[in-house]
Amino acid sequence: MGPMSSVALVTIVSTFLASAVEFVEAVTIVLAVGVTRQWRSTLIGVLAAVGVLGLLVAVFGTALAVLVPIEVIRLVVGGFLVIYGLQWLTKAVLRAGGAKAKHDEALIYQDSVGSLAHEPPVPAVGMDWISFTVAFKGVLLEGLEVAFIVVTFGASAGLLGPAILGAGLAGLLVVAVAIVVHRPLERVPENAMKFVVGVMLTGFGTFWSGEGIGIDWPGSDLAILAILAGYLIVALAGVQLVRAGVASRLGPASRTGPSGAGASQP
Amino acid sequence: MSRARAFAAFWSDFLVGDRPELFLGPIIALVVAWLLVGLGVPGGLVGGLLFAGVVLVGALSIRLRMSR
Repeated sequence: MGPMSSVALVTIVSTFLASAVEFVEAVTIVLAVGVTRQWRSTLIGVLAAVGVLGLLVAVFGTALAVLVPIEVIRLVVGGFLVIYGLQWLTKAVLRAGGAKAKHDEALIYQDSVGSLAHEPPVPAVGMDWISFTVAFKGVLLEGLEVAFIVVTFGASAGLLGPAILGAGLAGLLVVAVAIVVHRPLERVPENAMKFVVGVMLTGFGTFWSGEGIGIDWPGSDLAILAILAGYLIVALAGVQLVRAGVASRLGPASRTGPSGAGASQP
Repeated sequence: MSRARAFAAFWSDFLVGDRPELFLGPIIALVVAWLLVGLGVPGGLVGGLLFAGVVLVGALSIRLRMSR
């Protein structure tokens, strides 16, 4: 496999994983609205949000690729990838180490259903604007992170197509599974996926922003592998350190438990 | 005016969130690395320092969160 196809594959995998996590969160909101209120208005809200997101990716992705020199893209966008990747990675480390609560889709679903119960009843005819608005806002906000990653990753690698492909495949898969199981997707290993994506975004962001400021990486593109391996090792060590910190804070009683601090998440 | 403020607040929350060190830290690391490149320090060394800087920022952020 050549270096270009390797980067394309990594781009697809990165945007696929990042998008899958966000789509799972969006699906939870959409299911809550659709089940408790009206599916038709909910789905129109989803389609409207997807349309806006597609437009954002097309406009900003194309504008970046056509108007901005690749060195500038790699510096600025690479820097944003490092910032964004670190946010994902540090949160994933804290969650894996037991210092931060993991996402609970079932709980989020129940909360959403509970808050929708206080809204006015669904109109007998026409659009239910509450369904539309909640679904539109939920999908747009979760999807904005996907659009940001697709545009930044795709533009930096010069591979907007594979970036969109990865996100699209994730969307299709998550929606297909949601239609089949018809309930929140609780078993998706969201934190593990965020951990991997965090390593990838931080690693590629470091490499590209470094190129942007003129670093001549030893081994050229192969340096990416060393950077990714380095971040992975450091992050895994970080999980152990956080776990040890949580255990020492909880005291000796927690260490006698059957599953340790990491498994005793709320 | 309030819309502009809301727009700025949204993007600030989106990119910076509640952990400004994760926004400022990588920028500072990149500026230092850029200065070192300008001084003619070898790419491998600058790259290693950039990597170490990013790791340091992440570790500091986790430590801050753990101490709260």
